[in-house]
Amino acid sequence: MVEEKIIEILAEYKGCPITEINIENSFEELGLDSLDTVEIVMSLEEAFNIELEITGELKTIKDVAAAITKLI
Amino acid sequence: MLNSEICALFGIEYPIFQGGMAWIANANLAAAVSNAGGLGIISAMNADGDWLRAEIKKVKTLTSKPFGVNVMLMSPFVEEIARIVVEEQVPVVTTGAGNPAKFIPAWLAAKIKVVPVVPSVALAKLMERAGATAVIAEGGESGGHVGDLTTLVLVPQVSDAVQIPVIAAGGIGDGRGVAACLLLGASGVQLGTRFLLAKECEIHDNYKQKLLKASDIATIVTGKRLGHPVRALKTTMTRKFFAYEFDSNISNDELELLGAGALRKAVQEGSETEGCFMSGQIIGMLKKEESAKEIITSLMIEARAALGGATKWLK
Repeated sequence: MVEEKIIEILAEYKGCPITEINIENSFEELGLDSLDTVEIVMSLEEAFNIELEITGELKTIKDVAAAITKLI
Repeated sequence: MLNSEICALFGIEYPIFQGGMAWIANANLAAAVSNAGGLGIISAMNADGDWLRAEIKKVKTLTSKPFGVNVMLMSPFVEEIARIVVEEQVPVVTTGAGNPAKFIPAWLAAKIKVVPVVPSVALAKLMERAGATAVIAEGGESGGHVGDLTTLVLVPQVSDAVQIPVIAAGGIGDGRGVAACLLLGASGVQLGTRFLLAKECEIHDNYKQKLLKASDIATIVTGKRLGHPVRALKTTMTRKFFAYEFDSNISNDELELLGAGALRKAVQEGSETEGCFMSGQIIGMLKKEESAKEIITSLMIEARAALGGATKWLK
């Protein structure tokens, strides 16, 4: 599942248990800034073998999952 | 004098960019730097399109050499500014404070060379993929908006990560700094603080005097709490701001209000109590005002000497 994989990547990036991350969370709520976001997007691209465009619409994990699901 | 791919790529004589400093880098400064063989850059800052268009028209009357415009991506006028650089056929666009990916296709289509400022390896890679001509790897020694990494660690890591040319910025004050950055993998350099002391730089005299007196530890970074840290000289204003950042009784809105317009008050009014005098950490080494041409000439002579002398370490 896309959402689980994203949560796994985020948890690894943050070094926290996956239970601390909710799909409704925004990057900001997770304490991630714009540079963290760029790095995470690159990890996601590698994991899903896609190219993601970083736009203002990708606010929460749910948004990112929807964008990735469209691409795979 | 120095063999760099940057020169042919941008049509300049020396691999030196002048930083796009808000309220400071206008047509006069940019033209002086471009006429001296570097790349002068106008800062579009938070200004509207009319102001920028007038500055671009002015710089074209002052120099026939290439110049650039720095697009500040957090500007409320960014969409308009992004269009104007195309309409005015600006040769080079540098960007700051964000990810310019959505503007890059239109700029490249207009034959504009696009050079984003990057504070991390990941953003550098993303910019390369988006078609950037080069990237400026700027370390946190610089003045103004700063990232966490220093130039010493950022430049080699970005240079290894991308194939496009890397321009180093942050903490470069003389030819030794230029030479060091070339050895770290950069093909050119961008300097802001050194050009604050250019005779053609029209900042308030209080600002210049403060810079000339500043020591190595004269700067402070404020604004971390708001998510956009800025390096400037320690003054009544910046010390107060710094103290307020740790005061939970002060709201973020109050902090934003304290900082609003502070750079303009420094540049135009020289206000000690309300101004934010942006400066990089290298300021302690800079002790005189010179013309842009004198600055660029001495940077090149010193860089050549430093690079030529480097063999003394070989056994």
